[in-house]
Amino acid sequence: MKLQFNLNGCHVEIEAPADTSLLSVLRDYLGLTGTKEGCGVGECGTCSVLLDGRLVNSCLTLAAQASGRQVVTIEGMSLPDGSPNDLQQAFIQYGAVQCGFCTPGMVLAGEALLASNSQPTRLEIREAIAGNLCRCTGYQQIVDAIQSTAQKRQEVNPNA
Amino acid sequence: MPEFQFIGKPTDRVDALEKVLGTAKYIDDYSLPGMLVAHTLRSNLPHARILRVDVSAALKIPGVVAVITCEDFMDHGRFGYPIADMFMLAYQRVRYVGDGIASIAAENKAALQLGLDAIQVELEELPGVFNPLTALNASTTIVSEQPWDAPEYPRGNLLTHYVVRKNDPQNELARCPVTLEEDYSTMHQEHAYLETEGALAVPWPGSSGVTVYASCQSPFINRGNLVRTLGLGEDNIRVIQPQVGGAFGGKDDLMYQISGQVAKLALLTDRPVKMILSREESLIASYKRDSMQMHVQLGADANGKLRASQIHATVDSGAYASITPFTAWRSSIHAMGPYRYDACHVDTDVVYTNNGYSGAFRGFGNTEVCFAIEQAMDELALMVKRDPIDLRLQNCLRPGDTTPHGQLLGDDVSLAECLEQVRKLSDWKRKHAAYTRQAAEPLTPGEFRRGIGVAAVFHGMSLGAEGVDFAVGTLTVNSDYTLTLTSGLTDYGTGSRTAFTLIAAETLGLNPQRFNMPRPDTDLSHDSGPTVASRATVLGGNATHVTAQRLASLLNKSAADLLGCREDEIVRHGELYIGPKEEPATFELVVEHAHKIGLTLTSRGRWSSPEIHWSMETGQGKPYFAYHFGAQVAEVLVDTGTGKVDVTGFWAVHNTGTVIFPQGACGQLYGGIAQGLGYALMERVDYDNGYIQATNFDEYLIPTALDVPDIVGAFVEKPFAAGPFGAKNLGEPGVVPTAPAILNAITNATGRRIRSLPASLERVLLGKDLRKEGSSTACKLGLN
Amino acid sequence: MERFGYIRAASVSEAVALLNEPGLKSRALAGSTDIILQFRHDPHYCDRLVDISLIPELRRIEQRGGWVHIGAAATFSDVMSNPSVIASAMVLAQACRAVGAVQIRNMGTLGGNVANAAACADSLPALICLDTVANILTPAGGQALPVSQLVTGPNRTVLPPGGLLVSFSYPVPDSGSRSAFLKLGRRNAMAISRLTVAAMGRLDEHGRVAEARLVTGSATPHIERLIVVEQALTGQQPCAELYQHAANLAVDEMIRLSGFRWSSEYKVPALTAMTARVFAQVFEVGEA
Repeated sequence: MKLQFNLNGCHVEIEAPADTSLLSVLRDYLGLTGTKEGCGVGECGTCSVLLDGRLVNSCLTLAAQASGRQVVTIEGMSLPDGSPNDLQQAFIQYGAVQCGFCTPGMVLAGEALLASNSQPTRLEIREAIAGNLCRCTGYQQIVDAIQSTAQKRQEVNPNA
Repeated sequence: MPEFQFIGKPTDRVDALEKVLGTAKYIDDYSLPGMLVAHTLRSNLPHARILRVDVSAALKIPGVVAVITCEDFMDHGRFGYPIADMFMLAYQRVRYVGDGIASIAAENKAALQLGLDAIQVELEELPGVFNPLTALNASTTIVSEQPWDAPEYPRGNLLTHYVVRKNDPQNELARCPVTLEEDYSTMHQEHAYLETEGALAVPWPGSSGVTVYASCQSPFINRGNLVRTLGLGEDNIRVIQPQVGGAFGGKDDLMYQISGQVAKLALLTDRPVKMILSREESLIASYKRDSMQMHVQLGADANGKLRASQIHATVDSGAYASITPFTAWRSSIHAMGPYRYDACHVDTDVVYTNNGYSGAFRGFGNTEVCFAIEQAMDELALMVKRDPIDLRLQNCLRPGDTTPHGQLLGDDVSLAECLEQVRKLSDWKRKHAAYTRQAAEPLTPGEFRRGIGVAAVFHGMSLGAEGVDFAVGTLTVNSDYTLTLTSGLTDYGTGSRTAFTLIAAETLGLNPQRFNMPRPDTDLSHDSGPTVASRATVLGGNATHVTAQRLASLLNKSAADLLGCREDEIVRHGELYIGPKEEPATFELVVEHAHKIGLTLTSRGRWSSPEIHWSMETGQGKPYFAYHFGAQVAEVLVDTGTGKVDVTGFWAVHNTGTVIFPQGACGQLYGGIAQGLGYALMERVDYDNGYIQATNFDEYLIPTALDVPDIVGAFVEKPFAAGPFGAKNLGEPGVVPTAPAILNAITNATGRRIRSLPASLERVLLGKDLRKEGSSTACKLGLN
Repeated sequence: MERFGYIRAASVSEAVALLNEPGLKSRALAGSTDIILQFRHDPHYCDRLVDISLIPELRRIEQRGGWVHIGAAATFSDVMSNPSVIASAMVLAQACRAVGAVQIRNMGTLGGNVANAAACADSLPALICLDTVANILTPAGGQALPVSQLVTGPNRTVLPPGGLLVSFSYPVPDSGSRSAFLKLGRRNAMAISRLTVAAMGRLDEHGRVAEARLVTGSATPHIERLIVVEQALTGQQPCAELYQHAANLAVDEMIRLSGFRWSSEYKVPALTAMTARVFAQVFEVGEA
């Protein structure tokens, strides 16, 4: 079937079978391989993307469900010049990245949280990334990175 | 401590940028024109004779391009180290559920599926061996063929046997006023790297050779296996390691099979072939941390001074040896813990069964025995009414001590410091007293209780006395004044590339930004043995240091010639070379001058570990050139109504020597602890009659961000003389003492001791495991 | 080859029409988190999915005339953060919060949870505790059925073929009512419920129990209010002994309804503790 949606701010149109997952459309049809597949059953969060601003598992979402809607992937997170945004920079600075396979999903989970909660507690951060498994870091430096980004954004824009 | 320019300073991981941007390429992110997809048909029986494999019908399916079996490899694709008992695809028998039988390459996934269904396999089921404790019985089925290159292993399912011998512990035990005798058991553990296994093979023109991109740990071992089983020369095979999405020891043997399968298919079809495992297939087919059953006897004086230990362990290696002979040897060496004894015997039987198979996993055999000895120490502390940290301090190895193996220890031994520090950091004295008091009071129904527990660890560096221990590095100054650094030891998320870069930068006095490390590639780097067992920092780091020193000396020669002075007159200021006349020369100038006077600015360095030795017969020797030490404390909140355990606090102090890459060191520690927490409380690999019951992450539970507390980590940075800039290894030890620390804390809270893993809801509440008997079909879904 | 087709419904009536189109086995698609997995086990689960998740009416949550109405396609995230739900039925807000993790709560819906009817579905005990009624639309017209009657057992409902779950309605509990939900899993997120308890209660002016409700999840094949327990509490002075007594009765009910199973040795003490605890939360002001 014909699918069209807004992907990272750009309109895309593709033809794909109706049973194709959003994950497969992103990776196999559009070549955006930043979104990963870790389990295929919605348990690990490596395939996380934002659908209309909400964090979802793209392996459990049909591409058809995204039709006419807004999808943001890790490729849409960086600044227009391709450099990392402040949250991504914090992931680097705080050592929140090891093997990196969970990182795209983690960054999106962090962004989704900060969009709705500008001053999260560490527990709220942990809740927000609880659907994103990481086997390398023990999560601590990821929580640090998200927390510091929240604080910095608060300093820049205290009314957020 | 000497002041460093780069070492120990916060640094960005060398590949972090591409990872946060999502541009880092993992194996499944590669796609080439004309690429075929591949899949392996796997056994759904734990033990069977292969009567017939007929692929002719599959080959007739449109879109199926090639099908291979073990017959397509030299010597049926036999490989394996130290015991070559595996095949690229099963030969004559399948020995576990998930054993590969045939591999298909097809144009697309639909054809692949049809092809798989069309392969005709006739299996004759054989009796299976599932209980490691009866695997040595005379009447038991033989799982492995008589290992072909190891005729000295006499009994059928005995893979190998190790001993440690110091005096006669039974004699001592008989005279000890306090003795303890208990059984402990651990369960298999899945690595659960978030990226499943996968490989891509690209044939060279005319199938004259093949390049394999493989998500594996050790590209050189991979190439060696391919050379032997494909019948090609070393120069005709290139193995490249792309970004690896976690390994933890788990991306060796199965990855070598996958690499062999895609390589053969690529050579046959003259097209690129990619194979990616689903999570189900990965969980079923991949090897695990071995399970161990341990019988521990300890003897002590009434005041707690340890006198004797006797430990017998049975290790379930499963269907193949993999690297279990090494991990089990490490188990033997570490089984008695970091303590002094007058007498100590360890006996370890490693057995074959049809329960999947076991191999390398972070901790490498020490995790299992630490679980036993560190709980036994706490049980002893209760018996002699001593504080568990005091008891450990009383008995722990200190500088100048001799280990039960007969090894004289150097002044780097720092366990006492680790224990003292972790006691202070965790507010141990107050908490332990309070929780111990509370535990003595009667329980009100459904009460939540807190507990605190400690565990200590020593962990021998690198492979130890069994393996050849060396690493090789190279450095080249490029025409744009950048430097290319290679190491034969790889980085699968551990951060070793960053550590090596910092070591080279520090040695040369050049900014880390000048360096690049290409992905590990058998064409570009030198064989350095397997990247396992906490080898990278010390071995790879020292090799890098030696390599950089050689290049530094070349650059110094050039600078001296340029500045008209002696080499020893040159001082460095940042990247500048300054001679007696105080005219600074830039690095660029020094490089240009080197070219002018004919110096080639490349170097190669090799570092071999100090001499070590071990006698398998006497059970004595110097098993490792040095040890890492550490101590961890866990605080738990136990719901005595349901058995739910929350780890609410965690403190870890490890003797790392100089910390090279701080964020990386913390990350290794925290990550290890999280894996240990999962091992302690929730991770379970149940083989029911050989069938693994958990086949995806809905059933194989690993800790989420809500299960791991904030961890307080600290390092005892006493420089280690034989380490690069004083560093020790730290990749593995973080995971080792975590489970016993947590289980000791549970006992402190509840008064109940759990001697088997995991400490499930049922074990904590009832003191025993409770589980629905698994079905033999439960894991079949994932295979087709 | 497509395993199934997809069509998006713009309205409730269109959805019902599409679900009942002759010659096609159609199923409603809401959050997709369960149904996609269904196809892994059964590739022929249905011919076509009718996406109802974007029908505004099915996402609505509102309080009207003493009832709270929740559209069947409201997600767990929608429900747990809705002020009317939080004010009237903490038990439901907490149950929705206990589901999976953010990603699942953002997609998964109340209707899907009920229609799928897993024995461990977190929302079911809470909905049944609230005496929630499911509003179902079929081509023949609308019907209302208590959730406890709609769901007859593990993965079994009496949802008529071609029927669409439109909404759930529960009466706003009497003022002074408090409710709570407790979940026990093997880890703190993304956990299948080992046991859940949903409870509600209200004290009279003398501080005695005027009303009590208890529903357990993952404990019995059919999820229902445990009337025996509720009656034993009514009229009594709340105290630890009373909660313990209620807990013992709850356990008896569990065994009566499901028999003594392999897991009962564990579930008996665990349910005892959880029941006593949830009533303590409901009746002891300042603790919940």
